[in-house]
Amino acid sequence: MTIDTDASDITLDLHALGETAESEIASLPAAINIRDVSVYYGHFRAVKDVSVDIPRQRITAFIGPSGCGKSTLLRSINRMNDLIPSARVEGEILYHGENLYASYVDPVEVRRRIGMVFQKPNPFPKSIYDNVAFGPRVLGYKGNMDELVEASLRRAAIWDEVKDKLKQSGLALSGGQQQRLCIARAIATEPDLILMDEPASALDPRSTLQIEELMAELKQNYTIIIVTHNMQQAARASDYTVFLTMDDDRAGYVVERDVTMNIFTRPKNRLTEDYVSGRFG
Amino acid sequence: MTDDDRVPVDPPDERVEDELPAEIEALVAQVEGVVPEPAVPIRRGMLDREERLIKDGILRMGSQVVDAIRAASDALERHDIEAATQVIKDDPFINELQRHVSGLILVTIATQQPVARDLRYLLTLDHVASELERMGDHAGSVAKQARHLAPEPPLQRNMHLAEMASLAADNLHAVLRALVDADPDQARRVARRDDDLDVLWHRTWDEVAVLMRESPDNVDRGMRIMLAAHYIERIGDRTTNIAEDVVYLATGEIEDLNP
Repeated sequence: MTIDTDASDITLDLHALGETAESEIASLPAAINIRDVSVYYGHFRAVKDVSVDIPRQRITAFIGPSGCGKSTLLRSINRMNDLIPSARVEGEILYHGENLYASYVDPVEVRRRIGMVFQKPNPFPKSIYDNVAFGPRVLGYKGNMDELVEASLRRAAIWDEVKDKLKQSGLALSGGQQQRLCIARAIATEPDLILMDEPASALDPRSTLQIEELMAELKQNYTIIIVTHNMQQAARASDYTVFLTMDDDRAGYVVERDVTMNIFTRPKNRLTEDYVSGRFG
Repeated sequence: MTDDDRVPVDPPDERVEDELPAEIEALVAQVEGVVPEPAVPIRRGMLDREERLIKDGILRMGSQVVDAIRAASDALERHDIEAATQVIKDDPFINELQRHVSGLILVTIATQQPVARDLRYLLTLDHVASELERMGDHAGSVAKQARHLAPEPPLQRNMHLAEMASLAADNLHAVLRALVDADPDQARRVARRDDDLDVLWHRTWDEVAVLMRESPDNVDRGMRIMLAAHYIERIGDRTTNIAEDVVYLATGEIEDLNP
Protein backbone atom coordinates (compact mmCIF):
# COMPACT_ATOMS: atom_id res chain seq x y z
CA MET A 1 0.00 0.00 0.00
CA THR A 2 1.28 3.45 -0.79
CA ILE A 3 0.28 6.51 1.09
CA ASP A 4 0.19 9.75 -0.81
CA THR A 5 1.89 12.28 1.40
CA ASP A 6 1.67 15.14 -1.04
CA ALA A 7 -0.36 17.80 0.77
CA SER A 8 -0.09 20.43 -1.96
CA ASP A 9 -3.65 19.75 -3.13
CA ILE A 10 -5.06 20.43 0.31
CA THR A 11 -3.18 23.69 0.61
CA LEU A 12 -4.36 24.73 -2.83
CA ASP A 13 -7.96 23.97 -1.91
CA LEU A 14 -7.76 26.03 1.23
CA HIS A 15 -6.36 28.96 -0.67
CA ALA A 16 -8.90 28.59 -3.45
CA LEU A 17 -11.78 28.65 -0.99
CA GLY A 18 -10.68 31.86 0.62
CA GLU A 19 -9.57 33.73 -2.41
CA THR A 20 -12.45 32.90 -4.69
CA ALA A 21 -15.22 33.34 -2.14
CA GLU A 22 -16.67 36.36 -3.92
CA SER A 23 -16.43 34.87 -7.37
CA GLU A 24 -17.75 31.56 -6.05
CA ILE A 25 -20.85 33.25 -4.70
CA ALA A 26 -21.23 35.32 -7.85
CA SER A 27 -20.97 32.23 -10.03
CA LEU A 28 -23.80 30.41 -8.27
CA PRO A 29 -27.32 30.86 -9.56
CA ALA A 30 -29.22 33.11 -7.17
CA ALA A 31 -32.54 32.19 -5.59
CA ILE A 32 -33.10 35.76 -4.50
CA ASN A 33 -31.46 39.05 -5.43
CA ILE A 34 -31.91 41.70 -2.78
CA ARG A 35 -31.32 45.09 -4.37
CA ASP A 36 -30.95 48.32 -2.39
CA VAL A 37 -33.57 47.24 0.08
CA SER A 38 -34.57 49.49 2.95
CA VAL A 39 -37.36 48.56 5.35
CA TYR A 40 -39.24 51.15 7.38
CA TYR A 41 -41.61 51.00 10.30
CA GLY A 42 -43.33 54.38 10.05
CA HIS A 43 -40.47 56.87 9.82
CA PHE A 44 -37.99 54.50 11.42
CA ARG A 45 -35.65 52.84 8.97
CA ALA A 46 -34.88 49.39 10.38
CA VAL A 47 -32.86 48.13 7.40
CA LYS A 48 -30.97 50.29 4.95
CA ASP A 49 -29.63 49.78 1.45
CA VAL A 50 -29.10 46.05 1.62
CA SER A 51 -27.92 44.39 -1.58
CA VAL A 52 -27.06 40.69 -1.45
CA ASP A 53 -27.65 37.69 -3.65
CA ILE A 54 -28.77 34.48 -1.98
CA PRO A 55 -27.30 31.41 -3.74
CA ARG A 56 -29.79 28.74 -4.76
CA GLN A 57 -29.83 25.39 -2.90
CA ARG A 58 -27.43 26.62 -0.29
CA ILE A 59 -27.90 27.69 3.31
CA THR A 60 -27.29 31.35 4.01
CA ALA A 61 -27.18 32.61 7.58
CA PHE A 62 -28.02 36.17 8.62
CA ILE A 63 -26.16 37.03 11.81
CA GLY A 64 -25.79 40.26 13.74
CA PRO A 65 -26.47 41.91 17.08
CA SER A 66 -30.00 41.99 18.50
CA GLY A 67 -32.19 44.51 16.77
CA CYS A 68 -29.95 44.92 13.73
CA GLY A 69 -32.86 44.22 11.40
CA LYS A 70 -31.97 40.68 10.32
CA SER A 71 -35.45 39.34 11.12
CA THR A 72 -36.99 42.36 9.42
CA LEU A 73 -34.91 41.67 6.32
CA LEU A 74 -35.81 37.97 6.43
CA ARG A 75 -39.51 38.73 6.67
CA SER A 76 -39.38 41.17 3.82
CA ILE A 77 -38.34 38.27 1.58
CA ASN A 78 -41.76 36.61 1.73
CA ARG A 79 -43.68 39.81 2.36
CA MET A 80 -44.52 38.91 5.94
CA ASN A 81 -43.96 42.55 6.76
CA ASP A 82 -47.04 43.40 4.68
CA LEU A 83 -49.01 42.15 7.65
CA ILE A 84 -47.49 44.79 9.92
CA PRO A 85 -49.18 48.17 9.72
CA SER A 86 -46.80 51.01 8.84
CA ALA A 87 -44.10 48.62 7.55
CA ARG A 88 -42.79 49.58 4.12
CA VAL A 89 -40.15 48.14 1.82
CA GLU A 90 -38.07 50.17 -0.62
CA GLY A 91 -35.86 48.67 -3.30
CA GLU A 92 -36.30 45.37 -5.08
CA ILE A 93 -36.32 41.74 -4.06
CA LEU A 94 -36.00 39.69 -7.21
CA TYR A 95 -37.25 36.11 -7.26
CA HIS A 96 -36.74 34.34 -10.58
CA GLY A 97 -36.14 37.81 -11.95
CA GLU A 98 -39.49 39.16 -10.76
CA ASN A 99 -39.72 41.89 -8.16
CA LEU A 100 -41.73 40.42 -5.28
CA TYR A 101 -42.99 43.89 -4.48
CA ALA A 102 -44.35 44.63 -7.97
CA SER A 103 -47.96 45.73 -7.83
CA TYR A 104 -49.22 42.71 -9.74
CA VAL A 105 -47.61 40.15 -7.41
CA ASP A 106 -49.98 38.27 -5.06
CA PRO A 107 -48.42 38.07 -1.56
CA VAL A 108 -50.25 34.80 -0.86
CA GLU A 109 -48.52 33.22 -3.84
CA VAL A 110 -45.22 34.67 -2.59
CA ARG A 111 -45.69 32.95 0.77
CA ARG A 112 -46.58 29.67 -0.92
CA ARG A 113 -43.30 29.69 -2.82
CA ILE A 114 -41.27 31.13 0.03
CA GLY A 115 -42.10 29.29 3.24
CA MET A 116 -41.30 30.40 6.76
CA VAL A 117 -40.44 28.66 10.02
CA PHE A 118 -40.50 30.66 13.22
CA GLN A 119 -38.55 30.69 16.44
CA LYS A 120 -41.28 29.12 18.51
CA PRO A 121 -42.83 26.03 16.96
CA ASN A 122 -46.39 27.05 16.15
CA PRO A 123 -48.39 24.08 14.89
CA PHE A 124 -52.10 24.69 14.41
CA PRO A 125 -54.30 23.13 17.12
CA LYS A 126 -55.17 20.43 14.62
CA SER A 127 -54.09 16.91 13.85
CA ILE A 128 -50.60 16.27 12.52
CA TYR A 129 -52.13 15.35 9.18
CA ASP A 130 -54.25 18.49 8.99
CA ASN A 131 -51.32 20.70 9.92
CA VAL A 132 -49.49 19.54 6.82
CA ALA A 133 -52.58 19.42 4.60
CA PHE A 134 -53.75 22.87 5.62
CA GLY A 135 -51.75 24.94 3.15
CA PRO A 136 -52.33 22.71 0.11
CA ARG A 137 -56.10 22.62 0.88
CA VAL A 138 -56.30 26.41 1.11
CA LEU A 139 -54.47 26.61 -2.21
CA GLY A 140 -56.92 24.10 -3.75
CA TYR A 141 -54.49 21.21 -4.14
CA LYS A 142 -56.08 18.58 -6.41
CA GLY A 143 -53.56 15.71 -6.14
CA ASN A 144 -53.32 12.84 -3.69
CA MET A 145 -53.28 14.53 -0.30
CA ASP A 146 -52.15 11.41 1.60
CA GLU A 147 -49.10 11.15 -0.59
CA LEU A 148 -48.30 14.84 -0.25
CA VAL A 149 -48.60 14.70 3.54
CA GLU A 150 -46.37 11.64 3.73
CA ALA A 151 -43.78 13.10 1.34
CA SER A 152 -43.68 16.37 3.29
CA LEU A 153 -43.33 14.60 6.64
CA ARG A 154 -40.60 12.39 5.19
CA ARG A 155 -38.68 15.37 3.87
CA ALA A 156 -38.94 16.99 7.27
CA ALA A 157 -37.44 13.82 8.80
CA ILE A 158 -40.36 13.24 11.13
CA TRP A 159 -42.42 10.64 9.24
CA ASP A 160 -41.13 7.65 11.19
CA GLU A 161 -42.00 9.32 14.48
CA VAL A 162 -45.58 10.28 13.55
CA LYS A 163 -46.77 7.84 10.87
CA ASP A 164 -48.86 5.88 13.37
CA LYS A 165 -50.46 8.91 14.97
CA LEU A 166 -51.34 11.24 12.15
CA LYS A 167 -54.74 11.95 13.73
CA GLN A 168 -53.20 13.13 16.98
CA SER A 169 -52.89 16.80 17.74
CA GLY A 170 -49.70 18.46 16.52
CA LEU A 171 -49.51 20.17 19.89
CA ALA A 172 -48.96 16.81 21.61
CA LEU A 173 -45.52 16.48 20.01
CA SER A 174 -42.25 17.50 21.66
CA GLY A 175 -40.78 20.91 20.83
CA GLY A 176 -38.28 19.51 18.36
CA GLN A 177 -40.94 17.39 16.68
CA GLN A 178 -43.31 20.37 16.53
CA GLN A 179 -40.61 22.38 14.78
CA ARG A 180 -40.04 19.62 12.22
CA LEU A 181 -43.84 19.42 11.76
CA CYS A 182 -43.80 23.15 11.02
CA ILE A 183 -41.06 22.54 8.47
CA ALA A 184 -43.21 19.78 6.92
CA ARG A 185 -46.10 22.23 6.85
CA ALA A 186 -43.91 24.83 5.18
CA ILE A 187 -42.71 22.46 2.47
CA ALA A 188 -46.16 20.96 1.80
CA THR A 189 -47.00 23.93 -0.41
CA GLU A 190 -43.91 23.10 -2.48
CA PRO A 191 -41.89 26.24 -1.95
CA ASP A 192 -38.36 26.48 -3.27
CA LEU A 193 -37.12 28.76 -0.54
CA ILE A 194 -37.49 28.37 3.22
CA LEU A 195 -36.92 31.21 5.65
CA MET A 196 -36.05 30.20 9.19
CA ASP A 197 -36.11 32.73 12.00
CA GLU A 198 -34.15 31.29 14.94
CA PRO A 199 -35.67 27.85 14.27
CA ALA A 200 -33.78 26.06 17.01
CA SER A 201 -33.44 28.66 19.74
CA ALA A 202 -36.30 27.13 21.76
CA LEU A 203 -35.00 23.59 21.35
CA ASP A 204 -32.64 21.36 23.34
CA PRO A 205 -29.23 20.48 21.85
CA ARG A 206 -30.39 17.15 20.43
CA SER A 207 -33.41 18.64 18.66
CA THR A 208 -31.21 21.52 17.51
CA LEU A 209 -28.81 19.09 15.85
CA GLN A 210 -31.76 17.28 14.24
CA ILE A 211 -32.95 20.56 12.74
CA GLU A 212 -29.43 21.32 11.47
CA GLU A 213 -29.13 17.83 9.95
CA LEU A 214 -32.51 18.36 8.36
CA MET A 215 -31.41 21.69 6.90
CA ALA A 216 -28.42 19.97 5.32
CA GLU A 217 -30.82 17.42 3.77
CA LEU A 218 -33.28 20.06 2.63
CA LYS A 219 -30.73 22.11 0.76
CA GLN A 220 -30.64 19.41 -1.91
CA ASN A 221 -34.02 20.75 -2.99
CA TYR A 222 -34.49 24.08 -1.30
CA THR A 223 -32.72 27.33 -0.67
CA ILE A 224 -32.61 28.13 3.03
CA ILE A 225 -32.05 31.42 4.78
CA ILE A 226 -31.64 31.22 8.53
CA VAL A 227 -31.52 33.99 11.07
CA THR A 228 -29.64 32.90 14.14
CA HIS A 229 -28.15 34.31 17.30
CA ASN A 230 -26.20 31.15 17.79
CA MET A 231 -22.84 31.74 16.19
CA GLN A 232 -21.86 28.08 16.42
CA GLN A 233 -25.05 27.18 14.62
CA ALA A 234 -24.29 29.60 11.80
CA ALA A 235 -20.77 28.19 11.62
CA ARG A 236 -21.95 24.58 11.62
CA ALA A 237 -25.04 24.74 9.51
CA SER A 238 -24.61 27.42 6.86
CA ASP A 239 -22.64 27.68 3.62
CA TYR A 240 -22.65 31.45 3.43
CA THR A 241 -22.97 34.09 6.11
CA VAL A 242 -24.22 37.64 5.90
CA PHE A 243 -23.21 39.83 8.82
CA LEU A 244 -25.42 42.80 9.57
CA THR A 245 -24.98 45.43 12.21
CA MET A 246 -26.59 48.78 12.87
CA ASP A 247 -25.50 52.32 12.48
CA ASP A 248 -25.84 55.08 15.05
CA ASP A 249 -29.30 55.69 13.61
CA ARG A 250 -30.11 52.06 14.49
CA ALA A 251 -30.66 51.11 10.87
CA GLY A 252 -29.33 47.66 10.03
CA TYR A 253 -26.91 47.28 7.12
CA VAL A 254 -24.73 44.55 5.66
CA VAL A 255 -21.09 44.69 6.75
CA GLU A 256 -19.74 41.56 5.14
CA ARG A 257 -20.93 38.51 3.25
CA ASP A 258 -18.66 35.56 2.62
CA VAL A 259 -18.25 31.81 2.68
CA THR A 260 -19.10 30.85 6.27
CA MET A 261 -15.68 29.28 6.81
CA ASN A 262 -14.01 32.61 6.10
CA ILE A 263 -16.34 34.59 8.37
CA PHE A 264 -15.39 32.37 11.31
CA THR A 265 -11.70 31.94 10.60
CA ARG A 266 -10.55 35.14 8.92
CA PRO A 267 -13.24 37.75 8.44
CA LYS A 268 -12.16 40.71 6.37
CA ASN A 269 -13.97 43.41 8.29
CA ARG A 270 -13.04 44.45 11.81
CA LEU A 271 -16.70 44.81 12.79
CA THR A 272 -17.35 41.21 11.77
CA GLU A 273 -14.28 40.06 13.68
CA ASP A 274 -15.42 41.91 16.80
CA TYR A 275 -18.94 40.51 16.57
CA VAL A 276 -18.14 36.85 15.93
CA SER A 277 -15.46 36.86 18.62
CA GLY A 278 -17.82 38.42 21.16
CA ARG A 279 -16.20 41.83 21.47
CA PHE A 280 -19.20 43.73 20.21
CA GLY A 281 -22.94 43.17 20.14
CA MET B 1 -18.01 87.26 36.15
CA THR B 2 -15.27 85.95 33.90
CA ASP B 3 -15.66 83.22 31.37
CA ASP B 4 -13.88 80.82 33.70
CA ASP B 5 -16.47 81.27 36.42
CA ARG B 6 -19.34 80.09 34.32
CA VAL B 7 -20.81 76.78 35.27
CA PRO B 8 -20.34 74.41 32.34
CA VAL B 9 -23.61 73.34 30.81
CA ASP B 10 -23.99 69.77 29.62
CA PRO B 11 -24.68 69.55 25.92
CA PRO B 12 -28.28 68.55 25.25
CA ASP B 13 -28.76 64.81 25.16
CA GLU B 14 -28.98 64.06 21.47
CA ARG B 15 -30.36 60.60 22.12
CA VAL B 16 -33.72 62.11 23.10
CA GLU B 17 -34.38 63.03 19.48
CA ASP B 18 -33.43 59.54 18.39
CA GLU B 19 -36.00 57.81 20.48
CA LEU B 20 -38.60 55.88 18.59
CA PRO B 21 -42.28 56.44 19.12
CA ALA B 22 -43.63 53.78 21.47
CA GLU B 23 -45.79 52.13 18.83
CA ILE B 24 -42.87 51.81 16.41
CA GLU B 25 -40.67 50.46 19.17
CA ALA B 26 -43.33 47.85 19.94
CA LEU B 27 -43.53 46.88 16.26
CA VAL B 28 -39.80 46.50 15.87
CA ALA B 29 -39.57 44.56 19.12
CA GLN B 30 -42.29 42.24 17.84
CA VAL B 31 -40.28 41.40 14.70
CA GLU B 32 -36.74 41.57 15.99
CA GLY B 33 -37.36 40.24 19.48
CA VAL B 34 -35.79 43.32 21.09
CA VAL B 35 -35.97 47.08 20.91
CA PRO B 36 -32.99 48.05 18.73
CA GLU B 37 -30.16 49.65 20.62
CA PRO B 38 -26.85 50.56 19.01
CA ALA B 39 -24.35 47.74 19.43
CA VAL B 40 -21.79 48.33 22.18
CA PRO B 41 -18.37 46.90 23.01
CA ILE B 42 -18.51 43.87 25.27
CA ARG B 43 -15.92 43.10 27.94
CA ARG B 44 -14.85 39.54 27.37
CA GLY B 45 -13.26 38.98 30.75
CA MET B 46 -12.66 35.25 30.64
CA LEU B 47 -11.38 34.68 27.13
CA ASP B 48 -9.08 37.71 27.29
CA ARG B 49 -7.74 36.60 30.66
CA GLU B 50 -7.07 33.07 29.45
CA GLU B 51 -5.39 34.31 26.29
CA ARG B 52 -3.11 36.49 28.43
CA LEU B 53 -2.20 33.54 30.65
CA ILE B 54 -1.39 31.41 27.62
CA LYS B 55 0.70 34.15 26.04
CA ASP B 56 2.62 34.60 29.30
CA GLY B 57 3.30 30.86 29.39
CA ILE B 58 4.59 30.94 25.81
CA LEU B 59 6.90 33.87 26.56
CA ARG B 60 8.27 32.08 29.63
CA MET B 61 8.93 29.01 27.53
CA GLY B 62 10.52 31.17 24.85
CA SER B 63 12.89 32.93 27.21
CA GLN B 64 13.91 29.59 28.77
CA VAL B 65 14.68 28.17 25.33
CA VAL B 66 16.69 31.27 24.36
CA ASP B 67 18.62 30.89 27.64
CA ALA B 68 19.16 27.17 26.99
CA ILE B 69 20.59 27.84 23.52
CA ARG B 70 22.98 30.48 24.86
CA ALA B 71 23.96 28.32 27.85
CA ALA B 72 24.66 25.28 25.67
CA SER B 73 26.81 27.40 23.38
CA ASP B 74 28.64 28.90 26.36
CA ALA B 75 29.29 25.45 27.78
CA LEU B 76 30.75 24.42 24.42
CA GLU B 77 33.00 27.47 24.29
CA ARG B 78 34.23 27.14 27.85
CA HIS B 79 34.49 23.33 27.80
CA ASP B 80 32.31 23.34 30.89
CA ILE B 81 30.78 19.93 31.62
CA GLU B 82 28.75 21.17 34.58
CA ALA B 83 27.17 24.01 32.65
CA ALA B 84 26.30 21.61 29.82
CA THR B 85 24.77 19.17 32.31
CA GLN B 86 22.66 21.97 33.78
CA VAL B 87 21.14 22.70 30.34
CA ILE B 88 20.14 19.03 30.04
CA LYS B 89 18.72 19.03 33.58
CA ASP B 90 16.63 22.16 32.88
CA ASP B 91 14.95 20.77 29.79
CA PRO B 92 12.13 18.97 31.70
CA PHE B 93 10.95 22.38 32.96
CA ILE B 94 10.43 23.51 29.38
CA ASN B 95 8.56 20.28 28.65
CA GLU B 96 6.40 20.80 31.71
CA LEU B 97 5.58 24.37 30.66
CA GLN B 98 4.57 23.11 27.23
CA ARG B 99 2.15 20.57 28.73
CA HIS B 100 0.71 23.30 30.91
CA VAL B 101 0.28 25.79 28.06
CA SER B 102 -1.18 23.23 25.65
CA GLY B 103 -3.59 22.03 28.33
CA LEU B 104 -4.74 25.59 28.93
CA ILE B 105 -5.24 26.09 25.19
CA LEU B 106 -7.32 22.91 24.96
CA VAL B 107 -9.53 23.98 27.86
CA THR B 108 -9.95 27.46 26.44
CA ILE B 109 -10.98 26.16 23.02
CA ALA B 110 -13.41 23.69 24.60
CA THR B 111 -15.01 26.15 26.97
CA GLN B 112 -14.85 29.48 25.13
CA GLN B 113 -15.36 28.20 21.59
CA PRO B 114 -13.26 30.96 20.07
CA VAL B 115 -13.51 31.88 16.39
CA ALA B 116 -11.70 34.04 13.88
CA ARG B 117 -8.58 35.72 15.24
CA ASP B 118 -9.02 34.23 18.73
CA LEU B 119 -9.06 30.75 17.23
CA ARG B 120 -6.06 31.47 15.01
CA TYR B 121 -4.27 32.89 18.04
CA LEU B 122 -4.82 29.81 20.19
CA LEU B 123 -3.96 27.36 17.40
CA THR B 124 -0.86 29.39 16.62
CA LEU B 125 0.27 29.46 20.24
CA ASP B 126 -0.29 25.72 20.58
CA HIS B 127 1.94 25.13 17.59
CA VAL B 128 4.51 27.62 18.91
CA ALA B 129 4.49 25.76 22.24
CA SER B 130 5.35 22.45 20.58
CA GLU B 131 8.03 24.11 18.42
CA LEU B 132 9.60 25.65 21.52
CA GLU B 133 9.51 22.31 23.30
CA ARG B 134 11.42 20.71 20.40
CA MET B 135 13.85 23.62 20.33
CA GLY B 136 14.51 23.00 24.03
CA ASP B 137 15.31 19.39 23.13
CA HIS B 138 17.70 20.58 20.42
CA ALA B 139 19.45 22.88 22.90
CA GLY B 140 19.78 19.86 25.19
CA SER B 141 21.28 17.87 22.32
CA VAL B 142 23.83 20.61 21.70
CA ALA B 143 24.66 20.48 25.43
CA LYS B 144 25.20 16.71 25.17
CA GLN B 145 27.74 17.26 22.42
CA ALA B 146 29.33 19.98 24.59
CA ARG B 147 29.78 17.43 27.37
CA HIS B 148 31.57 15.06 25.05
CA LEU B 149 33.72 17.79 23.54
CA ALA B 150 34.61 19.44 26.86
CA PRO B 151 37.64 17.22 27.74
CA GLU B 152 39.03 17.47 24.19
CA PRO B 153 41.12 20.30 22.74
CA PRO B 154 38.91 22.37 20.42
CA LEU B 155 38.89 21.64 16.72
CA GLN B 156 39.64 25.05 15.19
CA ARG B 157 37.78 26.78 18.05
CA ASN B 158 34.65 24.67 17.43
CA MET B 159 34.30 26.13 13.97
CA HIS B 160 31.21 28.45 13.71
CA LEU B 161 29.12 26.98 16.50
CA ALA B 162 29.21 30.04 18.75
CA GLU B 163 28.21 32.34 15.92
CA MET B 164 25.43 29.97 14.85
CA ALA B 165 24.04 29.64 18.38
CA SER B 166 24.11 33.39 18.91
CA LEU B 167 22.26 33.97 15.64
CA ALA B 168 19.71 31.24 16.44
CA ALA B 169 19.03 32.71 19.89
CA ASP B 170 18.71 36.25 18.50
CA ASN B 171 16.32 35.10 15.80
CA LEU B 172 14.18 33.18 18.27
CA HIS B 173 14.02 36.23 20.50
CA ALA B 174 13.05 38.40 17.53
CA VAL B 175 10.34 36.03 16.32
CA LEU B 176 8.79 35.95 19.80
CA ARG B 177 8.75 39.75 19.68
CA ALA B 178 6.98 39.53 16.31
CA LEU B 179 4.52 37.09 17.86
CA VAL B 180 3.67 39.42 20.73
CA ASP B 181 3.23 42.31 18.30
CA ALA B 182 1.49 40.06 15.71
CA ASP B 183 3.82 41.76 13.22
CA PRO B 184 4.03 39.82 9.94
CA ASP B 185 6.75 42.06 8.47
CA GLN B 186 9.03 41.49 11.43
CA ALA B 187 8.31 37.75 11.15
CA ARG B 188 9.29 37.76 7.46
CA ARG B 189 12.53 39.59 8.29
CA VAL B 190 13.40 36.97 10.91
CA ALA B 191 12.74 34.21 8.39
CA ARG B 192 15.10 35.86 5.90
CA ARG B 193 17.83 35.98 8.54
CA ASP B 194 17.59 32.19 8.81
CA ASP B 195 19.47 32.12 5.49
CA ASP B 196 22.59 33.40 7.32
CA LEU B 197 22.31 30.46 9.69
CA ASP B 198 22.06 28.06 6.77
CA VAL B 199 25.19 29.57 5.23
CA LEU B 200 27.13 28.98 8.46
CA TRP B 201 25.78 25.43 8.69
CA HIS B 202 26.97 24.59 5.17
CA ARG B 203 30.31 26.23 5.81
CA THR B 204 30.70 24.16 9.01
CA TRP B 205 29.86 21.01 7.09
CA ASP B 206 32.42 21.70 4.36
CA GLU B 207 35.21 22.77 6.71
CA VAL B 208 34.70 19.87 9.13
CA ALA B 209 34.71 17.44 6.21
CA VAL B 210 38.09 18.80 5.12
CA LEU B 211 39.52 18.43 8.65
CA MET B 212 38.23 14.89 8.97
CA ARG B 213 39.84 13.92 5.68
CA GLU B 214 43.09 15.44 6.89
CA SER B 215 43.35 13.32 10.03
CA PRO B 216 41.45 10.44 11.64
CA ASP B 217 42.06 12.21 15.00
CA ASN B 218 39.59 14.87 13.89
CA VAL B 219 36.76 12.49 13.08
CA ASP B 220 35.21 12.09 16.52
CA ARG B 221 35.24 15.80 17.34
CA GLY B 222 34.26 16.66 13.77
CA MET B 223 31.17 14.43 13.97
CA ARG B 224 30.10 15.99 17.25
CA ILE B 225 30.55 19.51 15.90
CA MET B 226 28.51 18.61 12.84
CA LEU B 227 25.76 17.18 15.06
CA ALA B 228 25.72 20.28 17.26
CA ALA B 229 25.63 22.52 14.18
CA HIS B 230 22.78 20.43 12.78
CA TYR B 231 20.72 20.86 15.96
CA ILE B 232 21.28 24.62 15.88
CA GLU B 233 20.28 24.68 12.22
CA ARG B 234 17.06 22.84 13.18
CA ILE B 235 16.38 25.48 15.83
CA GLY B 236 16.60 28.03 13.03
CA ASP B 237 14.10 26.09 10.92
CA ARG B 238 11.67 25.94 13.81
CA THR B 239 12.07 29.68 14.31
CA THR B 240 11.03 30.08 10.67
CA ASN B 241 8.00 27.87 11.40
CA ILE B 242 7.04 30.25 14.20
CA ALA B 243 7.50 33.18 11.79
CA GLU B 244 5.01 31.47 9.47
CA ASP B 245 2.63 31.10 12.41
CA VAL B 246 2.90 34.83 13.09
CA VAL B 247 2.03 35.63 9.47
CA TYR B 248 -0.96 33.29 9.68
CA LEU B 249 -2.07 34.82 12.95
CA ALA B 250 -1.84 38.35 11.61
CA THR B 251 -3.21 37.84 8.11
CA GLY B 252 -5.08 34.53 8.06
CA GLU B 253 -2.88 33.55 5.10
CA ILE B 254 -0.59 30.53 5.03
CA GLU B 255 2.79 31.68 3.71
CA ASP B 256 5.83 29.48 3.10
CA LEU B 257 8.80 31.42 4.48
CA ASN B 258 11.28 28.60 3.95
CA PRO B 259 10.82 27.79 0.26
